[in-house]
Formats: sequence, structure tokens, C-alpha cells
Amino acid sequence: MTVPALDPLIEFIRSTRMSQIFRDEVGWLWPLCESLHFLGLSLLIGAAGFFDLRLLGFMKGVPLRSVKRFVPWAMVGFAVNLLTGLIFFISQPQQYATNLAMWLKVLFLLVAGINAMLFETSYSDRLMALAPDAETPVSAKVIGAVSLAAWFAVLYFGRMLPYLDPNPRSGV
Amino acid sequence: MAFFTWLQDTPFAHWVASDPSLLAYPTILTLHTVGMAIVVGTCVVIDLRLLGIGGDVPLTALVRAPRLVWTGFVINAATGLALFTTDAEHKATQKVFFVKLSLIFLALGVYARLRKLVFRTATPPAASISGEVKALAVFSLVLWTGATVAGRLMAYLL
Repeated sequence: MTVPALDPLIEFIRSTRMSQIFRDEVGWLWPLCESLHFLGLSLLIGAAGFFDLRLLGFMKGVPLRSVKRFVPWAMVGFAVNLLTGLIFFISQPQQYATNLAMWLKVLFLLVAGINAMLFETSYSDRLMALAPDAETPVSAKVIGAVSLAAWFAVLYFGRMLPYLDPNPRSGV
Repeated sequence: MAFFTWLQDTPFAHWVASDPSLLAYPTILTLHTVGMAIVVGTCVVIDLRLLGIGGDVPLTALVRAPRLVWTGFVINAATGLALFTTDAEHKATQKVFFVKLSLIFLALGVYARLRKLVFRTATPPAASISGEVKALAVFSLVLWTGATVAGRLMAYLL
């Protein structure tokens, strides 16, 4: 994907002192952030996936309320990955800004985020009041399925990023 | 060594390593990450719960977790072998690769022990968690962190 309009932005980010430090002066920063990004994704998918599976109707008898106590851990994983992801982007913006896989990843991040917000604002209270043994309603199952699918899509487009849209400018 | 040279030269290894299809190397690598998320994610959730910092979920919620861990492990053993063939000669001598494998087997050993202590007892899972179980949960977190970092460092260390 080429988006010439983004070139000045890419050049600007690359020219900042922060980008230069990340890229050229701290050799171990990239592998460190990659390691943290992988740990963060495991924590995020483990904790969010656990709650999603409960919404889908697995582990009946376990109160939704107590499974939800894992959600803050998913947020910790997300925060780690947002921070390390920003470091990747600031270091090498040309690898990401015009990469179609990156934008699809962002799209699915938005899907996961909006889905979670919708859950919090419109369904959470009602579902939390559900008896532990009760069948989860269709709305809960849809939200759980969308969340699970969206997070795995985020992982897919993240990992496939170098291959789905090989960027002719990478390695600048 | 001759075996690894042969392995690296099989049509399968060539397909994984250099077929232009996205289904070859990229998809196998991505599945390896999916398997990691399932295995490490599930084990970390169990560890956090056992340490009492993952809320008050009844331990019975986790009795089916072994299926997830097993599924993720099978995915990663299969995709890991496929990835190994593409660079067998080098990986067979790569120290950090052996560090990674050792950490994974230790972590799985800890997990099996936790399973026995917590989920396979005749009595329902206890409300209070023993010091041994907590120590094993900490050990598990450390081992999975180490295995993940070692896996990443395979791309950087000789």
C-alpha cells in the first residue's frame, strides 16, 4: 500500500529525537519491546478470552461477576502492548503507517474496543445479575464471540504484518 | 548433524521456508503465536487465580483448562517442528533454542504438578491455597515469561 500523503508525517516522526534514540541508540529496545508485546498479548488473550468463553456459555455455574475480575489483567496486557506498539511505530513509522495489515489490525482493535464498551454500557449490569447456572442470553454470546474473534484478528494481522503487505520502503 | 542437513533439504522444509504462498511460513508462524497465546494465556490466568490476584473465581471454573493448554501445545509442537525444519542445522546448535525448550518443559512440568495438587484431588478444590501451590504458580509465571522471551530472542542471538 502506498499513501504518498503520509510521507511527510513519516519523515517527521523519523526525524524526531525520540525516534532516533529508539531506532539507533538503544539496540536492545526492539527485542525487549517485542518480548513484552508477546507477553502482553498472552495476558490479554488469556484474561479476555476467559471472560469471552464464559459469556459464550462455557463454565456454567461460575458467576460471571467473578470471571469479570480477570478483565483488569486483560487491560494490563493491552496497556503493555499499546506502549510497546507505540515504540515500534515511533521507531520505524514507515513499516506501519502505509501497511494495509496495520490498518486492519487497528480496525479490529476498534471492533474489540467498541464491543467491550457496548457490553459495559448496555449489557453488563443485566448479565451480572444472572444466576450462575442460567444460560447466557444471545446478546452475551454475540459479544463474547465478537470479542474473541476480534482479538485473534488483531493477533493475526499483527503477526502477518510483514508478509501481508510487504512494504517497499521498509528498511529505509 | 547430517540428519539436520537432510531435514533442512526436504521438499517440506523448502516449501515452508520459501514458498511465496502466505499459507507457508507466514501462516505457520502466526499459528505458532496463536498456540502461544492459548498455552501461556491459560496458564497465566490459572497462576493469577492461584496466587489470589485474579479474583475469586471458583477453582472448578478451571477444571477444563487442561484441554485448552493441550490444544495450544499440540498446535505449537506441530508448527514449531515445521519452523525448525526450515533452519534445522542452525537451530540444532542454537543455545537460546535449548533454553526455550527447557523452560517450556519445566513450565509444563510445573503445570502438571499444579493440576495434580489443585484439580485432581478427590475433595473439591480447597478454599485456601497452600504455600506449595503458590510457589509453583510463581515459578510457572517466571518460566513462561522466560520461554516467551527466549523464543523472541531466537531471532537475535546466534
